[in-house]
Formats: sequence, C-alpha cells, structure tokens
Amino acid sequence: MLRTDEILSTIQMLHAEHLDVRTVTLGLNVNDCAASSVDNVCRKLREKILRHASTLVRTCDRVGGKYGIPVTNKRLAISPASHLLAGHGHGAALRLAQTLDDAAKECNINLVGGFTALVQKGISGGDAIVMESLPQVLSSTQRVCASVNVASHRAGINMDAVRQMGEILLKIAAATAAQRGFGCAKLVIFSNIPEDNPFMAGAYHGEGEAEATINIGVSGPGVVSSALHRRIQLGGPLTLGDLAEEIKITSFRVTRVGELIGREVAAELGVPFGIVDLSLAPTPEVGDSVGEILRTLGIEKIGAPGSTAAVAMLTDAVKKGGAFASSSVGGMSGAFIPVSEDSALADAAAKGHLTLEKLEAMTSVCSVGLDMIAIPGDTPAETISAIIADEMAIGVMNNKTTGVRLIPVPGAKTGELVEFGGLFGSATVMEIRNTGASAAFVRLGGRIPAPIQSLRN
Amino acid sequence: MKTRFEHAYVLNVMADDRPGIIAAVSGVIVALGGNIDACSQTVLGGYFTQILVVSFPKTVAAQDIVVRIQKAAPPGGALEVAARPYAAPVTPVEHKMGERFVITALGKDKPGIIHRFSQYLAGKDINIVDLYWDCAGEDFVLTAQVEIPKRWELALLQADLDEMGREEGFSARVQHENIFVATNQLRLPGGQLIGNCFSAEASHGRQ
Repeated sequence: MLRTDEILSTIQMLHAEHLDVRTVTLGLNVNDCAASSVDNVCRKLREKILRHASTLVRTCDRVGGKYGIPVTNKRLAISPASHLLAGHGHGAALRLAQTLDDAAKECNINLVGGFTALVQKGISGGDAIVMESLPQVLSSTQRVCASVNVASHRAGINMDAVRQMGEILLKIAAATAAQRGFGCAKLVIFSNIPEDNPFMAGAYHGEGEAEATINIGVSGPGVVSSALHRRIQLGGPLTLGDLAEEIKITSFRVTRVGELIGREVAAELGVPFGIVDLSLAPTPEVGDSVGEILRTLGIEKIGAPGSTAAVAMLTDAVKKGGAFASSSVGGMSGAFIPVSEDSALADAAAKGHLTLEKLEAMTSVCSVGLDMIAIPGDTPAETISAIIADEMAIGVMNNKTTGVRLIPVPGAKTGELVEFGGLFGSATVMEIRNTGASAAFVRLGGRIPAPIQSLRN
Repeated sequence: MKTRFEHAYVLNVMADDRPGIIAAVSGVIVALGGNIDACSQTVLGGYFTQILVVSFPKTVAAQDIVVRIQKAAPPGGALEVAARPYAAPVTPVEHKMGERFVITALGKDKPGIIHRFSQYLAGKDINIVDLYWDCAGEDFVLTAQVEIPKRWELALLQADLDEMGREEGFSARVQHENIFVATNQLRLPGGQLIGNCFSAEASHGRQ
C-alpha cells in the first residue's frame, strides 16, 4: 500500500510545481525511403512517417491522462536527411523538408528533427546539400529542425564546416529577417552530437539506433528549485553537499516519471523504448528556470564568479539522480542554459551580469552550450565561426556534447531586446567583443586534429 | 487469506492512544496459543485503532478473547474490543481485474464531501482500499486508493470528478498508482512498468 506522504509529495511535484514530460520523441530510421527520384523519396517518407507517427499524439495524451502528467510536446526525429539527399539536388532538399513539415502537421507533431548533416571529418555530397539548403529550408518550413555536427573527440574539428556554418547562419538570419532571424533557432551546430537526444532543435535518429524508438525528455527546473527552497526552509546547518543531495533525489523522481510514460507509450506504439533524457530544460515561464536554481544556490547575479561551479554541481547531481533512477538514461541529461528561453538568464544577460565569455565557461561543465543567444546582426561570419570553434573545442577536448544556437538578429545592435515569442522567449542582444579579430584563424580552414587522450592535465 | 490455525477471528480494537495497547492485545493471543495472521493499526486524533486477523489451534470463545484483552489493557483510558469469527471474504471478480488508481482531492472543507465522493465511487462499483482525509484550517486533503473496474473510461471518471469538484469547491485527480510507486520507491513497479502489471493480490501484498 502506498503511504499518504508519498502520494502527497508526488502530487506536489506533479501539480503544484507543474512537472510535465517535456517531450516524447519518436526516433525513426528513414534510410529505406531512398529512391532515385525525389517524388518517390517524398512519397515513401510521408507514408513511413504517417505509418509510425499518426497515433503518437493520441497515445501520448492517453498515457499522460492515465498518470495525470501532461506530455507537452510530441516530436519526431528522423535519421539524417543527408543520406536521402545524396545524389539529389538543392530542389530535392526543399521538397524533402516540405514533406517533413507537412507530414508532421498531419500527425499533429510540433517539430521534426533530423534535417541533419554529420560533417565532423568531411563533407559528403548529401551533407553539402543539407548545409547549403538550410537558409531556404528553415525560412520556408515551420516544424523542421536542423543540426550539423562539425566536430567530435575522435575526428577533431572540421574548420571548413565551421567556417561555412558562420556564413550559413547569417544567410538563415537574412532569410528570416522578418522574424528577427528566428530560423537560426531551429538549427544547432554540434560537437559529439548524441544519437538519441529527444530535445529540439538538435534531435536526430542516429545510425546505431533501432528502426524506431521512443525517447523521452523530462525537465523540471521548477521542481528542483522548489525542492531546494523547501530544504533551505527546513533550516539547520546546510552545505552545498546537502543541496546537491536534494537535487539528486529530485532528479531521481523526475526521471522515473519519464521512464514510466516512455515505456508505456513505446509499448502501445509497438516500438522499443530508447532512453530518458533528464535535462533541466527551462521555459520562459517564471519558476521554470535554471537561472533561478543558481540564485537559490546563492549566486545572486548569474554570471558572477561561482556561477560555473554552481552549474557544475547542478549538472552532476542531475546526472547522478537520473543514472540511479533508470538504466536507460541518455541524450543530454544535464542542465541547459538557453538564454532567451530562461527568464532569469535572460534577465542577467539584459543587466550585463552574464557575458558571452562567462556563458562559454559555464558550458564547459553543463549540457549543450551557447544556446539561444541573440547577437548583433552585423557580426562578421568569421567571428561567428570562431565562436562556434571555441564551443566545439570545449566539447572535443572534454569528450562531451556541446552545441551552438546563435541568432544573429538582422539590424539589431548590442543591448536591444528581441522578442521570439512562445517557448523561445525574448533575449537581449549580447555584446561580441574583439569582433573580426579571429578572421585569419578561421580562414585557414582544414581540420583541428583530434585531441590526445592521455597526458590530461 | 490463509490463517496459520483453523479457528480464526477478526478483532477490532479501539482505545485512547497510550503505550502498551499492542503489547496487551498480542499478550492475550500468545497466552491462548494463537497467532496474529495480519494486522493494521493507526492513530487518528489521539485515538488508537487496530484491526487483526488472529487464529488458534483450538476453539476459543470470541467473548473470552474480548474479556481477556479488556482486562490486560494498560491503565489510563478506555479500550473497546469487538471479535467475530473470520471467514475469507469473497472479493468480487471484477475488482480483481481492475487496476489500482489513486484519487486525490484538495479544497475547502465542508460537511458531506466524503459522502458525496464515496457515493459516486460506490455507484460505479469502484472499491476504496485505503482512504485518508485531513484538514489544515479550512482546507482539506483527501487521498483514496481505489480499484477501478476495467469497463470505465478513465477520462469520463475524471470529467465526473471535475464536475463534482466544481459543485463542491474542490479539485480532484485520478491517476494510476504506478506513478506514485515509480516516484517514491527504489524499484520500478514489479520490475515492469507496462499497463496491467499488478494483479490485485500482488498489489495488496506490496509494502
């Protein structure tokens, strides 16, 4: 028999603190949709998506209803579009993206990821088509998300790809200038891209995955923040170790929610359950913020000295709680710090407490990277590439995933507030210091070799 | 439920709560050569209550058990005992086939809420296996662990509870028990998380 206090503490977490399952993402291998004519590719792709995903939303809603937990987003991640586009032209890329967009809409799926190129060591024909078509694809579709992996700890950093991505980001921003460069919010540039990440915009279905899988993303910064507040209010001598323990316990419980929902959705859809990704993924809603957790931990101004240590502790405790809760933890599983999507981080950036350099330092110990950061629209492509290269270097050298989601806002200057709306929030355009000063480095191109795995100091 | 000995009784003890009640009750059972086969006890508002299934190798008069426990009761308050012969109840088959859910309700306290709530569940043949109610100031919290027959659509039950809540001034939720097991206990439910992974018996036995 369940104990009353167990029931009430779960109710508190689910309802008073608004825990939800952030995303149920169906991973789908679409390599068998390859065909010599683009018409056939698109027809097969649509049929396959509808066959597997048409009941996804209904199933998630039913299972969510059974447990009283809303599944906020239902998404689809396909195997890299670059494989299907090999041997086709740029027109095919647009047709394929449109097919993805329409099929997702037909299935009532929010976003579809996997318009992806994996170019960490070199750029194949299909990859080039994906990369070059990004401005057109991201400006003409609503639900398609893209990712480009330009670095890995085994291959190093493909600086030719990094250089191109700087230019491409500016083109995407220009193509979506009416939405203040919003197209860039649907593209993540990665090092060590995970094959099973359920979170957008960077989700894709990796080559090592099954034909189809269900991956779950649970979040819950609000739940962690409330747990810390409760622990602090209990009083008594309290150290960071005690607070780390509290985060760990909360993460355990949150992960369990994800696994329960994920396994049942997977069973109902008849596909294997993949992973549960416990990432503290904030939303602009007040109380759903990683920044607020840092404040609760005693960092009065986010970005102040100590911020990196606090994020490190948070990320580690989250991973430990998740790993104990489930043997199927994967994806990112850490703390995200997307500036525009997190009200406290956005506020710190607006006040000048949080700079790009400090964010970069924080990403060396937390999940993902420079995420949802608005930068001046006139930032030179080489400088954007250099920012990407720095973030990739953190991932490659530390054998972890890092990502970049920068939005060069056309016409916007440092300090200007840019509104993206909805879950994407608003962001103050951040200052880029020493603009243009790394152009020669970027222009050298080539590949930064893979790092040595020993002599690690 | 199978008892250790042939002659079984169900006892109900209610008393002003104080140390020594359980020792007194169990002492009488031991003295009569019997065994406690199951028991559950709680204290509510300063009152102790305990229900036990006990069995003996030889016939014992129910009244004898009652008198002995009352005599053995610790000083300092009243103690009442009731005893009746135990026969394993026949659980309706449908309840065994239903799954366990937890209904929670929160709102402003007023007379008649538990009655309205339980009457609704009774009308749906939903069995309450555990009920908790508490008030803090004007607010109440209710948790009920229930077995819902499979024939009911969960969404419709939730809609009915929502409507009742609107009329009576509370919010209520019905959720499968596995969410509470998953978030509170170290092991995942039954080693599997899918659908009907509990039989009613297995569920009853889990602590």
